[in-house]
This record gives sequence, C-alpha cells and structure tokens, in this order.
Amino acid sequence: MPDLALKTLVHDKLRFFITVSGVAFAVTLGFVQVGLFMGLMDNATVTIRKMDADIWVTSRNTPNIDFAHAFPESYVQRVRAVPGVADADNLIVWFMNMNLPSGAQEGVEVYALEDFSKWNIPWNVSEGNLDDLRRGNFVFLDDSGIRRFGPFQLGEYREILGRKLRIIGRTQEAESFTTTPMVFMDYELAQALNPDELQNRTTYMVVRLLPGADMDAVKAEIAHLLPYNDIYTRDAWAAQSKRYWVESTGLGLNMYLTVFLGCLVGIVVVAQTLYSSTMEHLREFGTVKAIGGSNADIYSILIKQASIAAVVGFILGAAMAYAMRPAIASINLKLIITPELAVAVFIGSIVMCLASALVSFRKVASIDPALVFRG
Amino acid sequence: MKERNNGAVLDAREIRKRFTEGKQTVDVLHGVDLSLHRGEIVALEGPSGSGKTTLLSILGCILTPTSGDITIEGDLVDIARPASLPAVRKRSIGFVFQQFNLFPALTALENVEYALNIKGIKGREATEEATRVLDDVGLGERASFLPRDLSGGQKQRVAIARALAGRSPILLADEPTANLDSQMGRQILDLFRDLAVKEDRALLIVTHDPKVRAICDRVIEIQDGRLAA
Ligand SMILES: Nc1ncnc2c1ncn2[C@@H]1O[C@H](COP(=O)(O)OP(=O)(O)OP(=O)(O)O)[C@@H](O)[C@H]1O
Ligand SMILES: [Mg+2]
Repeated sequence: MPDLALKTLVHDKLRFFITVSGVAFAVTLGFVQVGLFMGLMDNATVTIRKMDADIWVTSRNTPNIDFAHAFPESYVQRVRAVPGVADADNLIVWFMNMNLPSGAQEGVEVYALEDFSKWNIPWNVSEGNLDDLRRGNFVFLDDSGIRRFGPFQLGEYREILGRKLRIIGRTQEAESFTTTPMVFMDYELAQALNPDELQNRTTYMVVRLLPGADMDAVKAEIAHLLPYNDIYTRDAWAAQSKRYWVESTGLGLNMYLTVFLGCLVGIVVVAQTLYSSTMEHLREFGTVKAIGGSNADIYSILIKQASIAAVVGFILGAAMAYAMRPAIASINLKLIITPELAVAVFIGSIVMCLASALVSFRKVASIDPALVFRG
Repeated sequence: MKERNNGAVLDAREIRKRFTEGKQTVDVLHGVDLSLHRGEIVALEGPSGSGKTTLLSILGCILTPTSGDITIEGDLVDIARPASLPAVRKRSIGFVFQQFNLFPALTALENVEYALNIKGIKGREATEEATRVLDDVGLGERASFLPRDLSGGQKQRVAIARALAGRSPILLADEPTANLDSQMGRQILDLFRDLAVKEDRALLIVTHDPKVRAICDRVIEIQDGRLAA
C-alpha cells in the first residue's frame, strides 16, 4: 500500500530536514536541560546515596547536606545504645578555605569521619589509602577540584585554615551541588582546624541498622533521645536536600521554563513547516478528496507525517544530546539521561508534533475539492 | 431494477447553480437536464465561462447544485448533505483533470494504487488492479516512474488509469487533452474511449477541442447555462 504520508514527507528533503531539525532542537534542549538538572540533583545527594548509612541525624532544620550546623558530638553515645542500631558515627561536613600556591583562596567542602572505609566514603578512590588519613595532617582531594585549584600531586601540601596539609590521596566524583570540590580528612583534624565552631561538636550522625531492625522504631527512639535533632531515612534526607535546591534557587522553575521554551520553539518550527507543507500540497489534498477521500483520510496523513517527524527528530535530538555529553563533562557538568527521561521526552515530542499537526487540520478541512479543476 | 431512467447510470434533472460572492450572485446553470448511459461517450462543449466545469463538478458530486436532482446508479444523491458526497465519488465516479493532479511523491503504480486504497480496495488486489489498468493505458513499463519523470501524455495516461481503476461506472474528464499536443491528445482520446467502451463505462468529456467531438457518440452544448441540442 503506497504510503502517501511518508513519501510526500520525504519527497521534499529540505523541508523534511527543517521539520526534523525543529523537533530535534526541542528534544536536545529537553534532554540537556533536564539531564543537567538531574546531574546537579545527583551531585546534591551523591554523598547521601553513597554513604552506607540508613539513618541521618541532623541538627534541627538543616535545609540540606551542604548547609550543616553543629551539635554536641556526645549524642552519638545515646544513639549507639538504641536497640537495632549496628553502628553510629559522627560526620562533619563543613566549608573551609584552602590557600592555593598562587596565593588565591578557594572554598572546599570538607567531609570528616573517624573511619572512612566503614561508611564507604569516598566511594571512588584512585590513589592513596583511606586508613592513612587517621595518622595526621593529611587530606584526600577530588579531581573535580583540578579546574579550580589546578593540578595536584600526591605528596604536595595545601594550606587549609592556616594549617599545611599533605595530599595523600585522590578521589573521583566527589563534587557537591555547588560544584565545590570535596576534601576528605580525619574527624579530629577538622575539629582542630575550626575549634571555635567544631570543638566537641559534629554536624551529622550517620547510623547503620542491624539486619531486620525496624526502621520506624529506631527512628522514633532516636527522636525520643534527641529531641532537638531531626532524624531522616536516607531517601527522605536525599529528597529534602534536593527539594531545598529546587525550591530555594528557582532551579526547578528555570528548568521547566527552558524546557517549555524549547517545546514552544519546537512547536512553532514544526507547526510552521507542516502548515506550509500543507499549503503547498493543497492540490494533492484536494485530489484525495475528489477521488472520495474524507477529511479523516487527510487528517491521518497529517498525523502520520507529524509522528514520523517526531520519531526521526527524537532519534536525532537524542543522538545530539548524547554526543554533547563529553563536552558537558569537560566543563565539569553531568548530564544524566535516565530511561524515564527518554520516555518522557519521546512522549513529549510526539505530543508536540501532533499539536503542530492540529494547526493544519482546519486548513485541510476547508479544502474545496473543486480546486482540482482549476489551473 | 436498480438503474431507473432508461438504464441511465447518471441522471441529472433541473440542475441550477448560483454562485454567491458577497453581494454579487452569478447564475451559471439555469436548469440542466442530462443523462449518461453505460458504454456511452458524450462530449460537453461550450464557450469559456459557460459553466462546463461547474456542471461536471456537480455531476461528479464535488459541488452541490443550488437545486435539482441527481441520480447515480439508481440512487438519488442527497445534495442537502454534503458529507454524503465523498462516498458517492468513491463508489461511482472516476475523474480525469486537465492538470493531471497526480501525487508527485508516488510512482505511476502507487498513484493508481493509492486511489484504489481510498476506494477501499487494498493490498494485493489493489496492486493487481493498478498493474492491470496501467498495462491497459500502455504504461506497464513505466509503473515505477515518478510523475516528474513522465511526459505530459504519460502523466495523463496515469490519470486515466487512476480513473479507470476500481471500475467506477462514470468517468468524468475536464479538458483532458488541453495540456497535450494535438497528436498526443488524439492518442489519449482514442485510448480513453476504447477502454471506456470495452469496460462499459459512461464517459463525459468536457472540451473545447474539435477532435473530441469526432470520437463521441453524442455532443451536448451548453450556452447561457442551458443545454442546446
Ligand atoms: N467558485 C466559484 N465562485 C464564483 N463563481 C464561480 C465559481 N466557479 C465558477 N464560477 C463562475 O461560473 C462561471 C462558469 O465557470 P466554469 O468554470 O464552469 O466555466 P467553463 O465553462 O468551465 O469555462 P472554461 O472553458 O474557461 O473552463 C464563470 O463565470 C465563473 O466565473
Ligand atoms: Mg472549465
């Protein structure tokens, strides 16, 4: 059966290309915007998800993992005594300044624990031994810092809050939402660097449950023991950290707006090319009607053309977004494309193209088949 | 008996057509009576602007008359309900236009097949029927050509094949030879007539062309919106 819709669509190659490009543009924009957003959200919660902890204890009203306040470190004793708790440790997350060899200062986000290996933090170590951190004025730096601090070698020194610290390890992927690189050091060292605020104090407690322990019961018991702290499950804490950034920064709104604008541009381009294509093929549509075709026959042609443009445009746009990933990675941003996102963008492009086709429906409905007799 | 009116496959009575353009009205047809029988070739002549195309469009159920009755294959066409007309065209009418009106993106064969698909004939059956009529018009060899690769005469043969396909009993042609040179026009007319007669169709050809008159059983003239004998 001859496919009038497909053949007519690809017959005019330039127009087909423009139509598909319009879809591809919107698709790429959707992928990149949402993907970057998801990448940032991923950073915002990466340590929460990687840390081998089931429960997080924070000081009251801590908005997200990066904005910690301190509370007495001795609370950990009470938590360790709660039935069902396998392990509980203090964790300090604190912004500090690092002096660069150039004389400049840059912020780093310090993660400090007594035993890093126990909590699977940092999770991607390329050089160095985590257990050595306990032995003195040492740090692990993350490679994401290279862009800000310049390259570093193990054995070099960096000064943090006035104290010279030796770099004894290198990590990957440890980058916070604010793109501040993470630095890992011993718990007591972090307290010593900032005694005014951290002496005998911690910013979080991470808790691991015994197998089969009742999460709700443990949470309730900790809450009872520590009435001035907030208690979260891992997922709830990650969600809270994300929500903070989405809502307080307008980042979510910004993303939706860009995606919306991308779709708008896509719809305009696709609707415009489909409509002008319809106008150019009026005589053919008139002929379809003259030989007995109904409006529905012509609608189905338009719908099919729009769907083909959507599918081809989606493939092209997805390929472009994929191709952009190395470039995006090179500027230290992460583009996360999940299957759910791909499905959503695909449905979006179909809807966008069908909406564009609707613009032409009225036109073809009004075609007078008598035009086939005119010159 | 299905076909009334002495076996006429198409019967038009008292056809009037008035065009209204803003405040202006033009009365183009003032009561035309006309019938067509199977196997009959009729030429419709008349000066430019006399209403030939208008009448053909009405007979072909593309345009509705302002008043009058049209009976096609024994059924009265419901001119008050334009939505019913495509079905009549689908079932009973094959058109050939001066401008060919082929689908440029489809090959000769596909052009014919597509028309068959619209008429509800699909798949293998459509391909076989399309191949048959293309062979009949002498274009079997060119079945896979796009219209742009065909000459004017070849295009019109495809258009004729398209009208013949599906065995619509009524064939209506509006100046089918006007865009062709005179020798090609003659060939096409002969072919058209032969096929129409062979397959027992009724063929009405609107024309200015005196050659057409020669191949027809009957010539009707339209003047001032009426048929002159
Ligand atoms: N849609 C329309 N609206 C208004 N007037 C129309 C319309 N179609 C045709 N007419 C008028 O009806 C008259 C007959 O037109 P028609 O096209 O039927 O003539 P014709 O005999 O086919 O002429 P030609 O030989 O030049 O093709 C003309 O005066 C034309 O202006
Ligand atoms: Mg005319």
